[in-house]
Amino acid sequence: MGSPLGGWPSYNPHNFSQLVPADPSAQPSNVTPATYIATHRTDPPPNQVITTESRNILLRHFYQKSEEKLRPKRAAPDNLAPENSNKQARGAVADVGSQSNARS
Amino acid sequence: MSVWNYVVTAHKPTSVSHSCVGNFTSPNQLNLIIAKCTRIEIHLLTPQGLQPMLDVPIYGRIATIELFRPHNETQDFLFIATERYKFCVLQWDAEKSELLTRAMGDVSDRIGRPTDNGQIGIIDPDCRLIGLHLYDGLFKVIPFDNKGQLKEAFNIRLEELQVLDIKFLHGCVKPTVVVLYQDNKDARHVKTYEVALKDKDFVEGPWSQNNLDNGAGLLIPVPAPLGGVIIIGEETIVYCNANATFKAIPIKQSIIRAYGRVDPDGSRYLLGDNTGTLHLLVLTHERERVTGLKVEYLGETSIASSISYLDNGVVYVGSRFGDSQLVKLNLQADASGSFVEVLERYVNLGPIVDFCVVDLDRQGQGQVVTCSGAFKDGSLRVVRNGIGINEQASVELQGIKGLWSLKSSFNDPYDMYLVVSFISETRFLAMNMEDELEETEIEGFDAQTQTLFCQNAINDLLIQVTANSVRLVSCTSRELVDQWNAPAGFSVNVASANASQVLLATGGGHLVYLEIRDAKLVEVKHAQLEHEISCLDLNPIGENPQYSSLAAVGMWTDISVKIFSLPDLELIRKENLGGEIVPRSVLLCTLEGVSYLLCALGDGNLFSFLLNASTGELTDRKKVSLGTQPISLRTFSSKGTTHVFASSDRPTVIYSSNKKLLYSNVNLKEVNHMCPFNTAAFPDSLAIAKEGELSIGTIDDIQKLHIRTIPLNEQARRICHQEQSRTLAFCSFKYNQTSMEESETHYIRLLDHQTFEFLSTYPLDQYECGCSIISCSFAEDNNVYYCVGTAYVLPEENEPTKGRILVFAVEDGRLQLIVEKETKGAVYSLNAFNGKLLAAINQKIQLYKWMLRDDGSHELQSECGHHGHILALYTQTRGDFIVVGDLMKSISLLVYKHEESAIEERARDYNANWMTAVEMLDDEAYIGAENSYNLFTVRKNSDAATDDERAKLEVVGEYHLGEFVNRFRHGSLVMRLPDSEMGQIPTVIFGTINGVIGIIASLPHDQYVFLEKLQSTLVKFIKGVGNLSHEQWRSFHNDKKTAEARNFLDGDLIESFLDLSRSKMEEVSKAMGVPVEELSKRVEELTRLH
Repeated sequence: MGSPLGGWPSYNPHNFSQLVPADPSAQPSNVTPATYIATHRTDPPPNQVITTESRNILLRHFYQKSEEKLRPKRAAPDNLAPENSNKQARGAVADVGSQSNARS
Repeated sequence: MSVWNYVVTAHKPTSVSHSCVGNFTSPNQLNLIIAKCTRIEIHLLTPQGLQPMLDVPIYGRIATIELFRPHNETQDFLFIATERYKFCVLQWDAEKSELLTRAMGDVSDRIGRPTDNGQIGIIDPDCRLIGLHLYDGLFKVIPFDNKGQLKEAFNIRLEELQVLDIKFLHGCVKPTVVVLYQDNKDARHVKTYEVALKDKDFVEGPWSQNNLDNGAGLLIPVPAPLGGVIIIGEETIVYCNANATFKAIPIKQSIIRAYGRVDPDGSRYLLGDNTGTLHLLVLTHERERVTGLKVEYLGETSIASSISYLDNGVVYVGSRFGDSQLVKLNLQADASGSFVEVLERYVNLGPIVDFCVVDLDRQGQGQVVTCSGAFKDGSLRVVRNGIGINEQASVELQGIKGLWSLKSSFNDPYDMYLVVSFISETRFLAMNMEDELEETEIEGFDAQTQTLFCQNAINDLLIQVTANSVRLVSCTSRELVDQWNAPAGFSVNVASANASQVLLATGGGHLVYLEIRDAKLVEVKHAQLEHEISCLDLNPIGENPQYSSLAAVGMWTDISVKIFSLPDLELIRKENLGGEIVPRSVLLCTLEGVSYLLCALGDGNLFSFLLNASTGELTDRKKVSLGTQPISLRTFSSKGTTHVFASSDRPTVIYSSNKKLLYSNVNLKEVNHMCPFNTAAFPDSLAIAKEGELSIGTIDDIQKLHIRTIPLNEQARRICHQEQSRTLAFCSFKYNQTSMEESETHYIRLLDHQTFEFLSTYPLDQYECGCSIISCSFAEDNNVYYCVGTAYVLPEENEPTKGRILVFAVEDGRLQLIVEKETKGAVYSLNAFNGKLLAAINQKIQLYKWMLRDDGSHELQSECGHHGHILALYTQTRGDFIVVGDLMKSISLLVYKHEESAIEERARDYNANWMTAVEMLDDEAYIGAENSYNLFTVRKNSDAATDDERAKLEVVGEYHLGEFVNRFRHGSLVMRLPDSEMGQIPTVIFGTINGVIGIIASLPHDQYVFLEKLQSTLVKFIKGVGNLSHEQWRSFHNDKKTAEARNFLDGDLIESFLDLSRSKMEEVSKAMGVPVEELSKRVEELTRLH
């Protein structure tokens, strides 16, 4: 492998193409862009004013436990979802695994 | 009493804490977003470089910013969290050019210990949640729903209490964080957790890694498919991931706090360390597996706080300690072995550790000299308001009545002649072969009379207007070509001309319009007006630079200005100015593509109007006061941009910035006439007629604040000015790092106050550092001295127990040590006090007398003192009163009793404020800044009935500034006219860690009440970006209390009235019940405080 320098990513080859480097002896530039003033409505959409759940962590834990006890039948479908994702996960791992196998 | 205070920013924060890159303003525009403490700057990447788009004030101190792309969106959203636990998500609406609030909220908890290592805000790369670490032992999650909307936040218990960094891992099926933490044995480890959104809990993650580098402080997550995380330590860099890949390399000891990802796949990163070295970290990988790490030296930059790779090898380096930079990464090293080329530097004054106000010209206008920057990026910065004219040449000339420059031919780029008019003659100066000005003749011109106007005209002609005639002279032969004579019995009073038109007025209200056709003067039109004409102008503002279709005429008697169309001389608009003062100068001009009519009165007031160049319609009338004497207006150009020069007793440059007219004073006392004089020898210069003198000078860049940098390559900590010796002295230190040892060397340095040339250096002892410096004189001694307070900072001591007071005289430009006195602690502050020296030494305030010994030498002799402080850090004095700012016990007031030779406490503020600066606003009111970024004022209660009450300093004002103030100083950045109303308002300047220079103006009560009403009205019209509340932002807030702001006004908000559209201004005016013009005038006046 050659020099790690160079081959810099380019998103738009024109960017900085016409930039003239500032004279190093010149004073640093002191330009501030126009100041933004919000004279329009700035309220977020109605349900997007976020607060933190008021129940504390311990109480939440108790409630979760008690809910699980009260509804044991619900446990089955609840468990399905993670299983599904586990399957996907294994697939991803398997990919990596096969590559590493191929290499070794 | 100075308790009604107006706080305004003269120089915005420049220290950069964060930066990020993304498609924010449009799906195909790449933006750099920079956080500067309380402001966000949005830039656009263009072929020419970074193009500044917007400066967005945020009502909060920015703790984190992050760009992210929710599912199904084509452009990035900006997440901002503030230190006071507010957050918002912003989206740019390109159609309306508005920042929309997509979401906002409060993420504070009632109970919780704020983290010691700063707040962390991170967004899952797959946009499933926002993670926040704000309190020890808690991780807050704001989940996204599948439509990209935020849901209610919840907390998860995090077992690790001393968290150093948290990042999301890439490419994980479930959102997974990696936590870098320190255990209670000070060992550092990383651990991963999966966030179970449904159970609202952490699940032990796929891997962990114990016993990292003791200096590990930064995590860099690597994008998929590589995945994993890079852990940056002080001596090693480690890569690890879920597959137990573990790669490590040793590095030269350094502290790396900033990184920027170069490649989207994460194979290269830029790392910036505490010495300003830029490294490239390379992850070598094969088939999506990391095989090794490599670090390459790139070069030196400012000490980086943020690094953003932009495009095509160009990188933005944001800095808190020095100027931020735009750098290019080159393939080849330059002569010094650096691969880094600095393309652009952006001014940063922060951290302003100290500053002094120097009034060099004794004009009542101070320039501020700051101790800016830290470590190798330390510098002095000379900050001056207004525009400087740097005189190149001058000659004594009495009685100049007018000044014009002429070119030797119409297309010549340079000026050749300077026409100087006197009461009964006109003289012509020209540049000779030696680039000197010498007197010459222009034969066709009338030199025996006063010139009213001169101008180069088409067909290589010169125009001269005098009281009797208009003359056309050939440029080549200098002979008279044509002449127009004033009618018998009438003389020309005022005249104006451009390249092809002449407009003049004679007595009796006659207005005559001439055109130059085929090298002849043709009288095209004549009009008789009802009153005498006081001034006129036909400067072309349309598309044709040689011809104007409008003329402006100012009138005596009815005090009006009229707009006529040309060539028919039809009146199309009349504007009554009101009042009794005659307009003395009118000017049509176009600045930044906007046409204006400016009209200056005989009393120094100026009207500005927006002018519709095709219809002549005048709108947006504004009035400002520039001086007290008649003004004459003239355009000039500097660096290709047109500006207006207003000559008067307070010369001003009128310029346009972001399509808004701004007024900046010029560093000259009085200017009678000005004309641009652009010659090969004096390019872009101005000829200026002052009282008894004609001078030629170049002009500074046209901007409100002019900043000059004096790089030190070491850090200055305290500075002071001594007018008598024409010097500045400062305490500084240099940080030496050899391979094994770190040490600091401290100095006292002396500079010339005009040239900033280094004159002399006094090195301090080992471990000794300069803590305070003042210039003072003593009773019964006419000499002026620099007094320096020092401390011996020994590694084994918690607080210094030894220090010195050094008294220096400046002799032949050198620091001469006269007296030294050992102290029992650090001399944090010194003040000249009643011909003696007052020192704050650890817990004690100590007064020293200046005693003459028998041998004629002097010594400092302890007279009396006052105990009872935790650490007396800041002292200010006024008469016999001493105000002390304590480390943690707020402000106390002491008094010196001469007859008893004792210092006693008179009163104190019983709040537990940790002070960062104090100043006395007047005899009764004192201002303090504390370390939670608040300002407060206290008042002496001398009229109170009981002793208890008199012993208490009453808190009268509170305000959240959002900036850490290091110093207050009395003074002004602008010229103060003592006879004007604003000139009576006392001001204090302050400097902050983020590089802010601000002004606190103590207003009269009625003005305060008026502006308070304006502020509360404006809050309804000017919203906080992200819907953050202004009231909450400005409320006094520290860990002990939160209280509504009082007796302080937010000048930045009030002055943004001037940036409102006309229709919004009218709404504000209606709500206030005050006309727009009156509001504008009152707010404009405030802008002239800084």
